[in-house]
Amino acid sequence: MSAHLAFDNVTIRYPIYNSRSMSLRNHLVRISTGGRIEEDAGNIRLVTALKNVSFTLREGDTVGLIGHNGAGKSTMLRTMAGVYAPMEGRVERTGRVATVLELGTGMDMELSGYENIIRMSKLLGLSNAEIKRNAKEIEEFTQLGEFLELPVRTYSSGMATRLMFAVATSTKPDILLVDEMFGTGDAEFQVKAKQRMEELIRSVGIFVFASHDNKLVRDYCNRFFRLEHGTVTEIERPPA
Amino acid sequence: MSAPGLSDIIKTFKNPSLILYMAWSDIRARYKRSVLGPLWITIGTAFGVVGLGFIWSELFKQDKATYIPSLTAGLILWQFMASCIAESTSVFTRQANIIKNLDLPLSLHVAQLALRHTINIAHNVPLFFIVALILGSPINLNTLMVIPGFLLVVGNLFWISLIFGMMGARFRDFEYLVAMILPLLMFLSPVLYRPNALPFSGKYIWLNPLANMIEIIRSPLLGEPTPWFLYAVNGGMLLIGGALALAMFNAKCKRIAFWV
Repeated sequence: MSAHLAFDNVTIRYPIYNSRSMSLRNHLVRISTGGRIEEDAGNIRLVTALKNVSFTLREGDTVGLIGHNGAGKSTMLRTMAGVYAPMEGRVERTGRVATVLELGTGMDMELSGYENIIRMSKLLGLSNAEIKRNAKEIEEFTQLGEFLELPVRTYSSGMATRLMFAVATSTKPDILLVDEMFGTGDAEFQVKAKQRMEELIRSVGIFVFASHDNKLVRDYCNRFFRLEHGTVTEIERPPA
Repeated sequence: MSAPGLSDIIKTFKNPSLILYMAWSDIRARYKRSVLGPLWITIGTAFGVVGLGFIWSELFKQDKATYIPSLTAGLILWQFMASCIAESTSVFTRQANIIKNLDLPLSLHVAQLALRHTINIAHNVPLFFIVALILGSPINLNTLMVIPGFLLVVGNLFWISLIFGMMGARFRDFEYLVAMILPLLMFLSPVLYRPNALPFSGKYIWLNPLANMIEIIRSPLLGEPTPWFLYAVNGGMLLIGGALALAMFNAKCKRIAFWV
């Protein structure tokens, strides 16, 4: 089955319910680079994060999403993943999706490293056999050794990041969605993380990557989407 | 016809091992550093039973041998229902991290909550049988009717938690409202007393859904035949409440990710 991901006129609006206070409104307006803020009938404010977005991604596409903070990059990734459902339009998706949006989803600080590997992997939809196979490899990659038997709360933040990154990248998806996540941990680990990420990117059918770093996007992607105020334009190549 | 809520629930129950693992690892995490773990709940209930049992049986002028088993059952069942309902209001908001990052069915969190409290009550049930054996409360064929009663109650708690979870995610005040009302509701529900101990309002107590949910399990636990109307009421609640919850969930499940 080849990976396929298509947006047909997709619009995503966020309701912001607790924004009666002027301060928050002012705050939102100040982020001029952000999405459009619209007033609903009631007191509910709507932020249009994506507006009439259409595109089709096929096997072999590696897409870079570029745009300012709040331009809709994360919303776009979440909509691609099926976390957000569009208010208008349709999202079509074939293939197993994996997301690396926020590291450590489902991690519990009280549980040991091994228990967290199982817990996070199960949430990612891996089978027991796959988890067993991955555990060895995660063990090697993180080099946490006996620490994996201790609760994650005893880890340094760098150690916890290694574990979270290793689990998040242990799936074998058809579609991989990644939100800005390079440059974690110490220098030695960064090199290994980059290598592991590149391997994963090579193995997937569709790769979508959101980043501020134009250089990274240019390195990994063959299509480029610029997000501005919730609209998407495909561009040739971002300036370095 | 599209029913996103229904397919969400079907997706949840197609993966029972995930529900079980998440509920189990939650309990493990909570009691990780304690030696007795969930048995602390049992000890707490045991103290409550001994302490309250002697005082309240005098106060209510009741025979200890019948009052204390009924109090034990009442406290255990109340703890189960009340903690499930109290936690249900934040069932989605507390899992915001998972909901916002992974494409998992939302009812998974509700099923996990119900299962977690079922595991907790399983730690408490032996306490009832110890009390029953010591005080000679009858355990007979009627006791078997605990099983269908319990299943009906869990079904009812599932739809209540689903609705409360949605309300709690959308209106953040709801959590505090429920937390405020629950302790009050304990005294309006037949926890410390049996409904037939009320000379005047014995009829009206059945307007409280929780009274029906407690008694459908407690009467067989005490070896009594369960009145048929309790099955009708609990079954009716499950049908009507379940349909209501499903309708709400169908309408709103796509919005929950934006609320949390």
